[in-house]
Order: sequence, then structure tokens, then C-alpha cells
Amino acid sequence: MKQFYQCLRSGALLCALLTVTNSALAQMSAREILEKVEDAQRTTTDSAFNRIQLSSCQFGVRDNQITCAERPRVKALESVGINFGPENKDTRSVSVVTEPPAEKGIGMLSVTYDDSDQDNETWLYLSALGTVKRIASGNSDDDTEPASIFGSEFTTEDQDTGKLDEYALTILEETIESGREVWKIESIPNEERARKTRYARTVQYIDKERFVLLRADMYDQHDREVKRLIASRVELVNDVWVARSLTMMNLVSNRLSNMAILEINTGIEVPEDFLTQRTLTDVAFRETELQKLREQID
Amino acid sequence: MTDVSRAPRSSLFLAVLALSPVGFVHAQDIPDNIDGFDFDSINFGDDLFAQPQSNTPAWLEPFTFKLSQQLFAQVNEHSISRVDGSSDRKNAAIENSRFSLLARYQNPFAAGWLLQASAQAKVYWPGDYEYRANDDRIDTEFRLNELFVQRSTGENSVKLGAQTVVWGENIGNSVLDVINTSEFRDLTIIDIEDARLNQWLLVWDRYIGNHQISSFVNLYPEFNPPPVRGSPFFFESAFNLTDYRRDKALFEIGSQMRWSLAGSDISIMGAYLYENQLSYSAPASGVGDAQSTANDYLLLGASANRAIGKLLLNFDIAYSHDILVNVLVTPTNPADAPYLATETMNKLGATLGFEYAIDNDQSIMFGVAAEGKLAPDAQLASNAALLEDEVTGNALLRYSNNMRNGDLQLAVTLQSALDAGSVLGSVSLNYTLSNNLAVMGQVIATSAKKDSALAALDEDLRMGMTLSWTF
Repeated sequence: MKQFYQCLRSGALLCALLTVTNSALAQMSAREILEKVEDAQRTTTDSAFNRIQLSSCQFGVRDNQITCAERPRVKALESVGINFGPENKDTRSVSVVTEPPAEKGIGMLSVTYDDSDQDNETWLYLSALGTVKRIASGNSDDDTEPASIFGSEFTTEDQDTGKLDEYALTILEETIESGREVWKIESIPNEERARKTRYARTVQYIDKERFVLLRADMYDQHDREVKRLIASRVELVNDVWVARSLTMMNLVSNRLSNMAILEINTGIEVPEDFLTQRTLTDVAFRETELQKLREQID
Repeated sequence: MTDVSRAPRSSLFLAVLALSPVGFVHAQDIPDNIDGFDFDSINFGDDLFAQPQSNTPAWLEPFTFKLSQQLFAQVNEHSISRVDGSSDRKNAAIENSRFSLLARYQNPFAAGWLLQASAQAKVYWPGDYEYRANDDRIDTEFRLNELFVQRSTGENSVKLGAQTVVWGENIGNSVLDVINTSEFRDLTIIDIEDARLNQWLLVWDRYIGNHQISSFVNLYPEFNPPPVRGSPFFFESAFNLTDYRRDKALFEIGSQMRWSLAGSDISIMGAYLYENQLSYSAPASGVGDAQSTANDYLLLGASANRAIGKLLLNFDIAYSHDILVNVLVTPTNPADAPYLATETMNKLGATLGFEYAIDNDQSIMFGVAAEGKLAPDAQLASNAALLEDEVTGNALLRYSNNMRNGDLQLAVTLQSALDAGSVLGSVSLNYTLSNNLAVMGQVIATSAKKDSALAALDEDLRMGMTLSWTF
């Protein structure tokens, strides 16, 4: 279960689902594009109630098609989150595992701060332990390896937002990706950021019309592509374009993870006391409040 | 005794081989050098992870089932030396061969209401120590773990029924984790969360802002069960160790307040409890059932944690008032033989531990628990002496590594008495074969000094596997 301890530092799982990897930097036009993408992203993570499916497997290629070389391991989650704090950039969220059966009921409360000086906070509830446990999760800006999201190939670095000042941004070209017109934007971290990231360079493909990431290629310091993110099922949700399926391929370990948003509901009214430790342990309370959220959606 | 060197070990190997993921892998399809592969030229099927629609009937939704088959053996043939100079031969033999069904039910049947239950049924096959203790017949056991109803409304939540209450920040060796009884029946159970037994409690939680006040009343306190005959922890005592004879009404009551600060959680607690382990003395008649004493005492405690980056510090402290201790009394008349007795004393205990996330997949946890009698000399008569050390405790070290997106989990545990009188080392590997199927292999080695309570486990080496299906 340890991977649960470290992951989901910003319970804003949706961040990762929705779009752009964190890299983004300074050249004006490129920066404007990425800022617009991030703004849209924040809009869709605020007051949100989502159901998410995370699937991971070793992959291979058959008949020119990527395929899983083993049965994917599937985790299903329900997640509720709100943004708060200065400029609404901090996030408080609760995620509860609904699948697989062996992990059903595991819950996690996360508070993510945009301020680099403030450590994120995470509490985990495992029914076997019978108590809520604080998890040392550090800060996504720490000089540490990014944490995996629920043991998948997605990491907190892949879902991080902001810090555009720490990257040199260049629009390489305007091209076609997945049949869409895109900006191909290269992000190279500055010296300080380079110490904190495992990516020496990232190339992102941003849909010119919908401002959503369609693809990202991540390179290491040897300019070897180590990961690739592919987005699909782009749909309009509350006037914001959202990629409802994201697949991260690890080209070193030949493993991939798919993050699918089964349900996305934004703009709902989340009671303040719902995003507390009580929700992890008090199942009667949690289910009652979740039912109220579901009624808002219906 | 069944000889483990025969069929079971080869069966184990074949079982693991048959369940390996080889059957799913199409190695020829995976390019050896992914760097040279042109991903731009391939297609990506978006339906790759489409899951079949669940056809579980609605009435089954609240249930989770886990079927397990466990096979464990002590594999080291050796002799154990005793304090009196004698020795016992220990053969390699199967200890655990058992099948279990764990059923869990969780149903929020109405707004603000929850009914939760879990129960376990076990079948002990030939070779299992429970089978041998049952005159070489297949034995069965049923145990109700949890059964409670919960009502939550506003700032309050009340739970009534069989449940656990866990205090303390350190997992596995907290001096505050004393409310539930526990049963370490054999060495396949080394985690406290697996050993806890539920108690019948009324629990009231009140949530006020950032504070949680949790109180409980136990009107039927249970005690740690005596060792099961045939198990590795069983010892032949001079008298029968029976359950407590309830000739008076017993109750326990306690309360804890918990709140969070930036980077920390803090708790304070107090309780009136009975020691979980009964104190036994010889029957008055000299034969038959031992006399058991349930000793009540007061507990005051506090716990806190502090997160510093990837490091989490945990601290628990407990003061126990009027704990029973065994003493040896030497009569003033030299003609009389020394005899055993009990005295009440106060005790102070603390657990200090840390958890550190080495990286994304690896973590390490360490905790030291120590308990000492307060001013024992002032409490004891001049002709009485403690039978155990003034300070006792243990250290616990755990390392875990999650590989292949958590499908393969390695756990290494080392546990030792503070005086290193007994040491347990365990290595386990858990492999998730599918969303439902998992197999775990485990090796456990124990070492103990002759005068240790675990002397009978010296130089034991246990190996085994558990296959489980959860749905």
C-alpha cells in the first residue's frame, strides 16, 4: 500500500487527466498558450466530483497497434475536490478506492499548496489499520523524485501546474496531431528547475482551437524519449474542453497507464466539513454526503 | 508430522509456475529496443482499457469476499537447547495448511446509517497444527470479526457493536495500542492489524471543527486468548489456562481528543481498562484450572506526529497506574521455600519511530518501544524481587518496495526484543496476478536465547505461500 502513501499529493487527479504537463516557460506566445490551458484545467478541478479509472500494464505492439501484454490492473476511484487559498491555487480533495475489491474502501485526504514553502499534507485510511495515518508526502517542489499517482506511470510532476517562469518555452512549429491543428511547444527547464525534474525537455502538442493537450513527449538528459503521453476522447464539459482519456507510456520499462475519467462533474457545492479526516473513517457520514453530491448532479 | 521435503514443496513450485503471468505475455510483440521503434507510425486503441460491464446483482454489491489457501512449513531440522541442559529435536514439518473465506459487508442502508460486518471461516487440512490438535481430523473454525451499526448525524457519530479502537501513531508496536485484545496464534501473523480481535463497544465520536473527541464504553471486556494447542506458541503449562470466570461485572471506558496542526497530528487520551493478558496463578487445590485475575488500571497517554518533507516522526507515550507484575518472594524464614506473587506498580512506556519514503516505490519504517516500572524498589518489600527486567520493549524495522506499478511488493521485517533475546526476520513477496488473484511467498527466520520466552522458536526457518482470490 505504500504507493498510496506517496501518491495523489494533490488529490486533483483531474489535473493529470485534463492536460498539460507542468513544463512551461517564458516565451510570451508559448506562455500565453500554456497559461490558457492551465486556467481551463483549474476551472475543471474546482468543486469537482469525479469517477476515475486507472489501468496499468506492460505493453507491446501487435499489428501496428499498441496492446497490453498482460491483463491490465484496474483501480477505480471516486474523488471530490475544491480549490482554495490565494488565487484559488491550493487544492483539498478526498479520494476513495472502489476497485479492485482487495483495495476497496481505502481513502485518502490530500491538501496541496501552491506555495513551495508549504508542505503538502496527506492522510490515508486503511480499514486494516483501523485508524487515519498521516503520510509524509513532502512538497511537489522538493528536490525529490516525483511521486507516482496510485502506483501508476503518472507522477505528480506530470500533473503539476504553474511555475511557468522556470522553463524556456519555444513554439517549434504549427503542425497536425491526431487530425487536429496543434502548436508544438518545447519546454526546457532552467537550471534550478532541472534539479527537480526528471525531464530535460518536453514537447507538447496543444490543440489550437480547444486549448487542450493532445500529446507530450518527455526526454531525459541524453535526449532520449522516456515517456509519452497521449490524450484522447476530448469532450466539452461545462464549456471547457477536457481529455477524458490519458495514456502515459513509459518507454524505458515498457509499461503504460491509462487514466480515464468515467464521470466528471464540476461546479458542485461541496460542504467544507466533507473534505476532512472524518470522511475517511465515518462511512455513514461519507455516503450520506456523497449521496447529496450525486443528487446535485442528477 | 508431514515431511515437507516431499510433495508439498514441488506442488508449491508448480502452483507458482502455473499462475505466473507468462501466459499473458506475448514477448515477440514487444520490441527489444523501444528507442528505435517509431511510435508515430502505430495506432493507439482507445478501447484498450474498456472494462466489461459489471453483472454483480445489487444485493451482492455491499459484499467483498476473499478466498485464501495457505501452506506454511518449518523447514529447518535442528535441535533446541534448553536452560536445564536438555535438548529437543525439531523436524521439518508443515504447520499451516488451511483454507479461509473472509466475507466483509458494508451497507449504508439509509441516510446517516451504516451496517458493517466481517467474518472468517477456516478449514484446517491434514498437516495443519489445528488438524493435529483435533486428533488428526479436519477442523473448522468460524469467527465474527466485526458487526456494528453506525448512526452519523451533524457533528456526532455513534457506533455500536464489535469493532476495534486503535490509539497511537506508531504502527505495530505502539504502547497505546492496548484497547483491543490480540492473538498471535502463529508466525504467519506478525502484523498487529492481523492479530487484533474486536471488542463489543459503544463508540461515540464528536467532530468539532478541527477536533475529534472519541469515547468508548466496553461492557464485556475480553482478554487475549490462551495459545492454541499445537501452535508454535503453545506451551504445556502446569495447569489449565481457561477463559476468565466472570464473577463480577467488568467494564472499560476511555476517551481521546485528536486535532491537527500544520504538519502534525496530536492526541491525548485517558482510559480505565483491564490488562489484556490475564494473570494466572496455581489453583487452590493444586490441580485443575489455573486461577485467573483480571487487573484493572488507569491509562493516560499522548501521541503526536511530525511530517518533515519525506520524513514522518511518530511519538507515543503512556502512563499506566496499578499494573500487575510478577515477583519472587523469599520468606524471612529460611526453612520456607520462595514463592511467586504479584504486586501492583506504575509503568511508563514510550514508542519513538519514523517513516521515510526513500523514493517513489521504497520506504523504510523504524520504531522502538520501551516500558519501564516506576520506582520498583520503593514498591517492593525487601524480600521480593521482580521476575522480569525493569525495562522491556522491542524494536521494529520494516522496508518495503513496490515494483511493476505495485503488482510486485517486497516487504522485509526485522523485529527484536530490546535485549536481543529474541529476533524475528521476515521477507515476503506479494505478486498480483490479476485484479482478483494474488500470491504471496514468505520466509520467516527466528532466533532466541535459551532464557527467552520464545526459546522454542530458536533457529526456526519457516517458508510458505498464500494464494488468495478477492471478489
